Amino acid sequence: MPPFLFALPFRHLRSHWGRTLLTILGIALGAAVYLSIALAEVSALAAFKDSVDAVAGKANLRLRVAGAALDEQLLVKARQIPGVRAAAPVIETVAEMTRGGNEPLMLLGIDLFAERPFRDYEFNQHMDQDSERLVDFLIQPYSILITDRLAAQLGLGVGDRLPVILGSQRQELLIQGIFRPASGVYALNGAYALIDLGQAQELLNRVGKLDYIDLLVAEPVDQVAARVQAQMPPGIIVERPQNRSQQVDRMVAAYRLNLLVLSLIALFVGMFLIFNAVSLSVVRRRREIGLLRTLGTSRAQIMALFLSEGAVSGVVGGLLGIILGIWLAQATLKVVTQNLTALFILVKAENLRLSWTLMGQTLGLAVGVSLVAAFFPAWEASRTQPREVWHREELEEKLKKRAWPAFGLGLIILMLAGVCAAQGPVAGKPIFGFLAAFLILIGFALLTPQCAVGLGRLLQPAMRGLLGPPGELGCRYLQSSLSRTAVSIGALLAALAMLVSAAIMIQSFRQTVDHWITQSISGDIFLGPNIFSTAAYDAYLPPEVLAEVQSRSELADVYLYRCVRSAYKGRPILVIGGSMAVLDRHGGMLFRRGRSPEIFAQLQTEGNVIVSESFAELNHLNEGNNFLLPTPSGPQPVNIVGVFYDYRTDGHTVWMDIKFMHRYWRDSLVNAVRLYLKDLAQLEPLRQQLLQDYASRYRLMAMSHRELRAGIMDIFDQSFALTYALEAIAVVVAIFGIITTFLVLIMERERELALLKAIGASRGQVFRMILVESGLVGLISHWLGALAGTLLSLVLIYVINKQSFGWTIQFKWIPDIYLQSLVLVLGVGLAAGAYPAWRALQANLAAVLKEE
Amino acid sequence: MITLSGVSKAYHRGPEEIHALQGINLTIAAGEFVAITGKSGCGKSTLLHIIGGLEVPTTGQVSINGQNLSGLSDAELTLFRRDQVGMVFQSFNLLPLLTVQENVALPRILQGYPYRQALAQAADWLKEVDLGARQFHKPHQISGGEMQRAAIARALINDPRVIIADEPTGNLDTRLGTQVMEIFARLQARWQKTVILATHALEAARYSNRILQLQDGQLAS
Ligand SMILES: Nc1ncnc2c1ncn2[C@@H]1O[C@H](COP(=O)(O)OP(=O)(O)O)[C@@H](O)[C@H]1O
Ligand SMILES: [Mg+2]
Repeated sequence: MPPFLFALPFRHLRSHWGRTLLTILGIALGAAVYLSIALAEVSALAAFKDSVDAVAGKANLRLRVAGAALDEQLLVKARQIPGVRAAAPVIETVAEMTRGGNEPLMLLGIDLFAERPFRDYEFNQHMDQDSERLVDFLIQPYSILITDRLAAQLGLGVGDRLPVILGSQRQELLIQGIFRPASGVYALNGAYALIDLGQAQELLNRVGKLDYIDLLVAEPVDQVAARVQAQMPPGIIVERPQNRSQQVDRMVAAYRLNLLVLSLIALFVGMFLIFNAVSLSVVRRRREIGLLRTLGTSRAQIMALFLSEGAVSGVVGGLLGIILGIWLAQATLKVVTQNLTALFILVKAENLRLSWTLMGQTLGLAVGVSLVAAFFPAWEASRTQPREVWHREELEEKLKKRAWPAFGLGLIILMLAGVCAAQGPVAGKPIFGFLAAFLILIGFALLTPQCAVGLGRLLQPAMRGLLGPPGELGCRYLQSSLSRTAVSIGALLAALAMLVSAAIMIQSFRQTVDHWITQSISGDIFLGPNIFSTAAYDAYLPPEVLAEVQSRSELADVYLYRCVRSAYKGRPILVIGGSMAVLDRHGGMLFRRGRSPEIFAQLQTEGNVIVSESFAELNHLNEGNNFLLPTPSGPQPVNIVGVFYDYRTDGHTVWMDIKFMHRYWRDSLVNAVRLYLKDLAQLEPLRQQLLQDYASRYRLMAMSHRELRAGIMDIFDQSFALTYALEAIAVVVAIFGIITTFLVLIMERERELALLKAIGASRGQVFRMILVESGLVGLISHWLGALAGTLLSLVLIYVINKQSFGWTIQFKWIPDIYLQSLVLVLGVGLAAGAYPAWRALQANLAAVLKEE
Repeated sequence: MITLSGVSKAYHRGPEEIHALQGINLTIAAGEFVAITGKSGCGKSTLLHIIGGLEVPTTGQVSINGQNLSGLSDAELTLFRRDQVGMVFQSFNLLPLLTVQENVALPRILQGYPYRQALAQAADWLKEVDLGARQFHKPHQISGGEMQRAAIARALINDPRVIIADEPTGNLDTRLGTQVMEIFARLQARWQKTVILATHALEAARYSNRILQLQDGQLAS
């Protein structure tokens, strides 16, 4: 094709730069959101993986026990197994620094002499030159070595003290040296410290215990692993250290998938913008197309011409989106890291990792989406006959005729969406659920032309009665500008539907969780270590505190709680022990089936457990089924006596009475307690008393039920803030669409408006006429959007969330959201009409009429 | 009666000042059919627009039946156009979304007439311009000559004192132009309307009582 033909799209884009800019911005925003979410997720998980790798060093096998400590003796045993070249004992815990914003600090208790084969540390001169420091590190209590990064960040040096909270106790650690990892990769961005193993055991009350043993074994690793497994007592898990990353990866997979799909919505709405823009330019340039065809341009060339217009918008929008996305990702990374830490596991990611693949993907997506959107109008353009005189009205009439078939097709697609919604998950992912959601949006978009015609016709008499000629004309215009408005309605509808559905889903979920807290978490005061994350389970209630609390006379009951992280069939689970007899007395589980008292009674028998709904769903286990639960005492056959509702994100849960938990885990640890008071009037005094008694020695929290609930709700809201932000962006993109549509619409009608004014229509009448039309566009978008959104929320609740997280959310109707979105949309609709209308009224009437 | 005294109109196009009209003095009696001719760009449309209340002169006075237009506000000018003037343009006279009948009824509808009544009147006027069979068509379904006839019907429906027609046959071939002008002249004679017609086609000017020659914004005698 001659190059000048390709210059045409550029010229057209330039000559309508306002509209072009909005279209490009729409695509850019969509692409930016996608990229920022993807980058943030990748960066956060990569940071986590790096931490795991950095801590693992060269170790290729790891020995551990699910949620409990290992016996030190196993170290010697492991070293003797053939194929094991080296073994290093490790104790790992997360402390909280009470200086510099209460950041977490990972403490690694290690045996410096066993470390060499595994991890290389480069110490600063203090350690090398005078080995007194080394001796100090080994013998002086509370001595640690910190990374140079942390030292710089805190402004601390050798000999300084670092105040921390360990478990639930306040401690001061003494910095004896500063190091940097030889690999240059810092676990947790440098927020970790080394402590001598013996010291750590004492400090953490784990004398004779280890968290894990790292092994360096000969190839083939699997063979040695099998040998090690055979030699070790039951309950010991032999795995590759990288398994941890994989487990976490799997744990957050559903969270990630949901966010990524959400982030695509803005792009989807942007697609409507491109479709709109290219359709407009096709309609506008009919004559040019006819002329080009007469001059011998082929259909394929015409098609390429318009496709390239879409592509140009896609490329420019995509590139802009990448820049915007990287910028946005900084903020997103913070939120994602916070979410992951609050919901799943400690993640510290401060640096964005730019991925060329992701950036390429984003550009590809932007261009791809634009090409798809430009395809239909481009195809239509290529079918224009040479010398065909184009009448906009003919197009409109053709569209009006197609409105019913489109409506029918829309209904069929909606039925298809219903069929998809009824399908099960594919590989644990709600693929069909997402498909159903997409089909709902497409289906409703196809309903718009007929609805616009129908509504215009329906309201015409009423509007005429109400507003006179402007009302009538506004309705008429609505019916006869489908080629312009239908697509914008579709875009706004889609964005609104997402907003409404997210609001309903989140609110339903919120109320479900709230109800669940009220129903299933009994207790007046919660006492336990103050932890940085709901997912930190290695902080325990000091035994002496437990003893003291239990002897208090104000208390009617004390419920003990013990929780460990474990894994079942390669997926993270939580095993929880509780005083089931106490729960039975005070209530505190929402069971799916069966009577609570009977279930609690059955839990007094060893081997009986209850499991969360999500655990049951994922593993296809039901009431009455048996399975093998891995424990430190080896796999235990357990029987499910009840399935209860649970809304944790960090693992599926298995509960048993705490006495059996202590037996299987061979300890008597308690993470936290719930206190039941004899007299509720004592609640606040007792709470204050507890805080006061322990504040100096420990860092404990004593929360009332109300505070606990507020705390959980806070985390809940925080984790959904991102979802709302994504929806809002989609709405903004759709608003761009409505505004551009009306700008074009009014521009095109300049002549008609001037004529109307010439024959005596007042400014007010013309203004009202346009507002009636744009207001109706808003109304239709709203009605269809609200309807689609409600259906979508059902899909989100009953299909997508159910399948990806295994949560049963009780659907909760929220009429407010309809009203709020109505106000928003009417505002947008009216503003979208008002500005171009105002501009049109400023236009010089006489000049327009003279342009014959 | 229409009186223009010392009417001038100047436009600014960048730094340049264009004198579209200069010192026009003109009196048109009620019921007169005046044709204004002249080359393209001589100021015909501007003159018509000033008489029709679409534009205000830079200097000078326009009075129509004793009413001075320069004293009117924008809203009053709108009412003046609606109630006292009928307009026919060279092209694009009809709103594409309305039927021919509705287009003709539009001035009445804007005046607040009941719909039915306005439409009935429009139907009558369409018969007058031989378009009885076309009333339910959309503008894009009828020919250019028919569109102009519909525009004439619309210009007459609100019983205006003055009709201004800006090259109503400019886009038509001679045969259709003649047809349109004949209907126009017939109606003018029947209803005794004051008509001011701008045209550069002398055939169209034939139908008038008086021909004015406009040259570079000035009336040539
Ligand atoms: N709104 C306007 N702004 C600037 N110049 C104008 C405007 N209207 C008319 N003109 C100029 O005034 C002159 C007379 O125009 P017009 O009255 O349209 O002439 P005609 O109708 O005889 O062709 C022309 O030179 C034209 O370019
Ligand atoms: Mg002219």
